[in-house]
Amino acid sequence: MTAPAHPDTQWPRWEVFKQDAPNRPYQAVGSVHAGDPDHALLTARNVFVRRPAAVSLWTVREADILTATPEEVEANPAVLDTPGEAGTYHLGLKRTHKRSMTFVDLVGTLEASGPGDALRQAREQHPDALTWLVFPESAVVRTDDDPGTVESWFAPAKDKTYKQQQYYGVIGRHVGELKREGRMPQRVNEEPHVGDHKVYDHPHDAVAKKVQP
Amino acid sequence: MTAAMTLTPNQTETLVRKLTALADDEIILAHRDGEWTGHAPILEEDIALANIAQDELGHAGMYLELRRELDGSDPDRLAFFRDVDGFTNVRLVELPKGDWAFTMLRQYLFDAYEALWLDAARASTYAPLTEVAAKAVREEKFHLQHTALWVERLALGTDESHRRTQNALNELWPYTAQLFQPVQDEEGLVEAGILPDLAGVRGRWEALVVPHLTQKCGLMLPAASAAAAAGRDTHTEHLAPLLAEMQSVARAVPNAEVW
Repeated sequence: MTAPAHPDTQWPRWEVFKQDAPNRPYQAVGSVHAGDPDHALLTARNVFVRRPAAVSLWTVREADILTATPEEVEANPAVLDTPGEAGTYHLGLKRTHKRSMTFVDLVGTLEASGPGDALRQAREQHPDALTWLVFPESAVVRTDDDPGTVESWFAPAKDKTYKQQQYYGVIGRHVGELKREGRMPQRVNEEPHVGDHKVYDHPHDAVAKKVQP
Repeated sequence: MTAAMTLTPNQTETLVRKLTALADDEIILAHRDGEWTGHAPILEEDIALANIAQDELGHAGMYLELRRELDGSDPDRLAFFRDVDGFTNVRLVELPKGDWAFTMLRQYLFDAYEALWLDAARASTYAPLTEVAAKAVREEKFHLQHTALWVERLALGTDESHRRTQNALNELWPYTAQLFQPVQDEEGLVEAGILPDLAGVRGRWEALVVPHLTQKCGLMLPAASAAAAAGRDTHTEHLAPLLAEMQSVARAVPNAEVW
């Protein structure tokens, strides 16, 4: 909402919210630049739905979204008075630092007299959130849910395999080969090795003490 | 293979010719689109056009797999080791990529044709083609939405974008006739219900693109040129340099197994 230090010289930015399956929450997956609502949706589909499954997309202009962290509200309580249209607001929350692909889940709607009021209610309802995000229902641009749209926008991605970078073992040895030889980490966050020698010990790798009967 | 056995030798030969022509259009167009990678007006459109190019290449792969079922030919050999004389793409797709208006308009004209051709091909009596058409038409309809949107915005944008779009239409329009020119003996496969009737596809194509270009986008259709005189064995001077680049890696390492 405040002017960024390096103003974006491109088209307006739109936040993209993706729903992976019916009855799942919409999740923020990133943003696109686009000249108008239709363009934003098409671009969002190209950028975020080529491989992963989706059944619906929303885009919302960045200018229509109000976000704040608890620290930001404390430093600038006036954000809770941000004026704007009264009506139904969507509420999104960031609750963890752990997830890499999505940052905010939309958790529901509330009636508010403006964005500041929506943020204030969000803060009261979800005091533990890391970030609150609100935007008015009127700002949402949605994909159609008719069969034709679902078939041409979302169905093709389901037939495509998502290949991680390591699938393309072009240079050197294929990673699968290294894995079979036990020379690759067996699980996420395993500590690095040089040859057979572990570089340093991590508490997670300590042998768990057996519980005495 | 059971479906292939119901074809006469002449039908098989014609179908191989048609599948190759369809694939060649897609391969060459995908390469032209791919030339924008890293150069499109904004990152999002760079990704979008690369997506479209990949889809088109995927369709080429499907057509060439159908051909492989008929004559055992290797799709990679066909794509990377045929010379310019062997390619049977329409001249529309080999023209240099031009500016963004040219690329978007060409892609729009082709997407509309391909979406309608595939839509008709879903009714083919040749089951392997029916299957491919049903799969590919979904992507093509999405491409069409994207490129129709761009043509509209460029045509109705600034004076400069309108001028560029009109120039692109003036240049591209005469080349579109070749899309509806049958390959040798194609009519036999149309009679057998194996391939869509191109005259019918052309009628639907004109009913779709002409109002979009003229009424919605305010563009002027150039005077209709004479029907495409030369066939798919005739190319512009632009195809050979394209193939030289496209095939360079495969030809430099002909025994490569992993890509």
